[in-house]
Amino acid sequence: MYCYRKVTDDYYWVGANDHRLSLFENIYPIPRGISYNSYVLLDKKTVLFDTVDWAVSKQFIENVKAVLNGRDLDYMVINHMEPDHCANIEEILLRFPNVKIISTEKAILFMHQFGFPIDGKTQIVKEGDTMNFGKHTVTFVSAPMVHWPEAMVTFDAKSGVLFSADAFGTFGALDGKLFNDEVNFDRDWLDDARRYYTNIVGKYGPHVQSLLKKAGGLDIKYICPLHGPVWRSNLAYFLDKYDKWSSYTPEEKGVMIAYASMYGDTESAAQILAAKLAEIGVTNTVLHDVSNTDVSYLISDTFKYSNIVLASVTYNLGIYPPMLDFLNDMKALNVQKRAVGIIENGSWACTSGTLMRKFLDDMKQMTVLDEQVTMASALNESALNDVDALAGRIKESMELDLTK
Amino acid sequence: MMYKLTPAQEDFRLKVREFAESEVKPIAFMLDQENKFPDEIMAKMKKLGLMGIPYDKKYGGAGLDTLSYAIAVEELSRIDGGTGVILSAHTSLGTWPILKYGNEKQKEKYLKPLAAGEKLGAFGLTEPNAGSDAGGTETTAVLEGDHYILNGGKIFITNGGKADTYIIFAVTTPDIGTKGISAFIVENGWDGFTFGDHYDKMGIRSSQTSELIFNDVKVPKENLLGKEGEGFKIAMSTLDGGRIGIASQALGIAQGAYEQALEYSKERIQFGKPICQQQIIAFKLADMATKLRAARFLVYSAAELKDNHENYSCEAAMAKQYTSDVCLEIVNDALQIFGGNGYLKGMEIERAYRDAKICTIYEGTNEIQRVVIASHIIGKMPKNEATVKRSHMPITGVRKKMILKDKDGTIEERVNKLVEALKGDGYDFSVGIDINTPIIDAERVVSAGKGIGSKENMKLIEDLAKAVGAAVGSSRPVAETLKYVPLNRYVGMSGQKFRGNLYIACGISGAIQHLKGIKEASTIVAINNNPNAKIFKNADYGIVGDLKDVLPVLTAALDNGPKKPAPPMKKIKRAIPVKEAPRFKHYVCDGCGYEYDPEIGDPDNEIYPVTVFDNLPEDWVCPECGEGKDQFIES
Repeated sequence: MYCYRKVTDDYYWVGANDHRLSLFENIYPIPRGISYNSYVLLDKKTVLFDTVDWAVSKQFIENVKAVLNGRDLDYMVINHMEPDHCANIEEILLRFPNVKIISTEKAILFMHQFGFPIDGKTQIVKEGDTMNFGKHTVTFVSAPMVHWPEAMVTFDAKSGVLFSADAFGTFGALDGKLFNDEVNFDRDWLDDARRYYTNIVGKYGPHVQSLLKKAGGLDIKYICPLHGPVWRSNLAYFLDKYDKWSSYTPEEKGVMIAYASMYGDTESAAQILAAKLAEIGVTNTVLHDVSNTDVSYLISDTFKYSNIVLASVTYNLGIYPPMLDFLNDMKALNVQKRAVGIIENGSWACTSGTLMRKFLDDMKQMTVLDEQVTMASALNESALNDVDALAGRIKESMELDLTK
Repeated sequence: MMYKLTPAQEDFRLKVREFAESEVKPIAFMLDQENKFPDEIMAKMKKLGLMGIPYDKKYGGAGLDTLSYAIAVEELSRIDGGTGVILSAHTSLGTWPILKYGNEKQKEKYLKPLAAGEKLGAFGLTEPNAGSDAGGTETTAVLEGDHYILNGGKIFITNGGKADTYIIFAVTTPDIGTKGISAFIVENGWDGFTFGDHYDKMGIRSSQTSELIFNDVKVPKENLLGKEGEGFKIAMSTLDGGRIGIASQALGIAQGAYEQALEYSKERIQFGKPICQQQIIAFKLADMATKLRAARFLVYSAAELKDNHENYSCEAAMAKQYTSDVCLEIVNDALQIFGGNGYLKGMEIERAYRDAKICTIYEGTNEIQRVVIASHIIGKMPKNEATVKRSHMPITGVRKKMILKDKDGTIEERVNKLVEALKGDGYDFSVGIDINTPIIDAERVVSAGKGIGSKENMKLIEDLAKAVGAAVGSSRPVAETLKYVPLNRYVGMSGQKFRGNLYIACGISGAIQHLKGIKEASTIVAINNNPNAKIFKNADYGIVGDLKDVLPVLTAALDNGPKKPAPPMKKIKRAIPVKEAPRFKHYVCDGCGYEYDPEIGDPDNEIYPVTVFDNLPEDWVCPECGEGKDQFIES
């Protein structure tokens, strides 16, 4: 049975939710599920904006057919060619053989690569091109590397509707609600939205900044992303988050302590540091065990907080593998402009601190504090003084503006 | 081809040899012992026409060839290596660039008196961070109207202080490496041009080697040598010729040592016969003679090539490198032949042994000579290995650099500002330590540099130390050369390291080795009359002014009677060193997200490190996805 919702004027949401997928992109845990959004415009012409993942095809086709209510489909606008959105291209072509696909040149190349039979059914658009469907005229705006090169966004100036592709999306199934004002976004969704953005788009900050500049010139009333709620109020709230994330500006002055501990001694040092921080008034802190926290959550908090502490044991004369994995992800995602404290542990040849420091030095504008805690197996009295010194220095460094 | 000198060249050799034997030899030991420049000998060399040997008579020179010049340096060095290098630096480095790159006006004004020996010349390229790699030059020349304003300094300059004119290399366009360097003719005596240390050297002690300091020196536009940006080319071609001079110097030192050893070995009897008849000594002498002959041919051949206007860069490098390398072997063998006698002060061989070493170091180390030679036989090496990352971070790390100059008020006002700032940082001047506390244990140190002047001024340092509650320290020359304080009180990498809180450097210019010894200090205060002194770039606070004016005021401001004993030291925290943004703008590809980092370049596509994005060729494409340059956005 169909399940669609009206967005505004002649636009309808025809997407679907998935609670069965455990790993999005086969990497990221999604305990709250995911929604695949697709939209239909009923005008003089009928237009489908993107499709959905294969997993929810049945629901999607029922929704599209119900909204069209017997009309043929004239156009399919493909903003983004990632298979969680384009998987149903062929299904649509089979059901609506007269449909014309509108997309960028690169996206059409990708369609060929993925093996869709689209010959003779495509129309290439580029930056600034417009298309009239009757009452509604849309403009196509390229959005390269947000987060794929072929991506574009589509804007209807009359209704103020922006189809933003993967931008402004989030993990989490909609489960009946569609709009941001139907949920408590800040309480229930922001963490997932941040985890989605930082892990999937985080590397491409400059490209997102460039898209935000373009969007700044448009009178946007609705943001229709490919995942998560449709935004129709308080747009400035979410745009501000995007501006911060894409410029690598922390959302909050606070400390994320990530520790890698084999038998609890390094964990204990991390706990002691957090306690010392609290004693000197730094309470906006979170502690993560890198061994049992998915790295996507670590990355998300790295973007959120101004300060990071990495506490790691030495393993095979190197950095403990889950910690190294976190560091590699940080570098790959272009993390920058943070102040970092280091705690190292090693029972015979302690190398992790030096190696983590070197790793961070190769990243952009990562200020590594000189005050380092070195533990031989477990914290002792003299190293305890170093924890105090580190805590004091972290507090001082929170006052620095590292974003210049 | 007979490989023989012409009768004229032989006559010239005899003339210089006779001069060296009769005039230089009798005083050579005294010059060495007293670190004394031979002013009278210079005057006599002028009379003999030795100061412009290879230059045209119309410019005041002797009109002889380069080979004769090489012979003169060789013959002087055969007696005294120091005197030899004075002539070499004057002729090859201080004079030749004006002949080659100067305009007629510059030749008239500067070349003539130099070639005639009325003036002495010198050449300033080396800096603390620019030796073999001229791209690290930090001295700057900024054009303001009709003048360039020269700031910075040079080190290890032969004839420094004695010379009348200096060929100085300075950056006129920053951040583009060697292409941004220009050459200038700078006169001794101009405002702001002063001399630092006259170095206390191991050898060639009759030559004067000094530090040059430029502090807002106004250099008239017409003293630009060649064009802007040609400095590196001028320096390199000048050094090509200079190498013939240094090769001749090494040849002369080795020749002198060999001759003395040969003579001694004939006189010294052991086991019933002269040691030269012992095979082991005979073979040594044979090897020495062979090396000398090979070296001599290399040197003379390079000189001949130069006179015949053929390429001689590679051959001059070979001559310099080989001759100075074998010179070390020859003086070593010669001293060995002398045995214990050769090890005594006053022995010419002992002096030759010390003089020889510099020849493998200056005017291009022998390592650089091999780079030059290799580049001629292999071609230029690609620059893809070392990325030219220059740290702009001072040696002592992040410092506050609050430097109070004349415009910031009277001395009293500036001293008060300093004292307030120190108190604000947590310094309690009611407590103190003994002025004789070992440097390594001291929480505070007041140190004297050479700017302190005469010994009685040390009283100012001691008074200040007592007022601050600090121990007394010094720079290396103050302990080692001036001997104002015991050797165990000088601070630096080679001396005592200061790990305490407050370090007050008085009249210390900031040599690298000194700065490395104080980098752990929580607070560095500098007092110096040279606003360009490197110490200020490495200090938290500074007062520009004369020590005799500033120190008594500072002492009075801090003196609050007898100090209570200081509690155990608590390290005062320094500013957090924030990692800077990259030096050059990065660009990212719209086609794949590849990030172009100018610091690294794109070596696979022959884009060398430190190529800014705008300078990439128009047909350069993204190495990952093939998008064009226009598909990149600023990161």
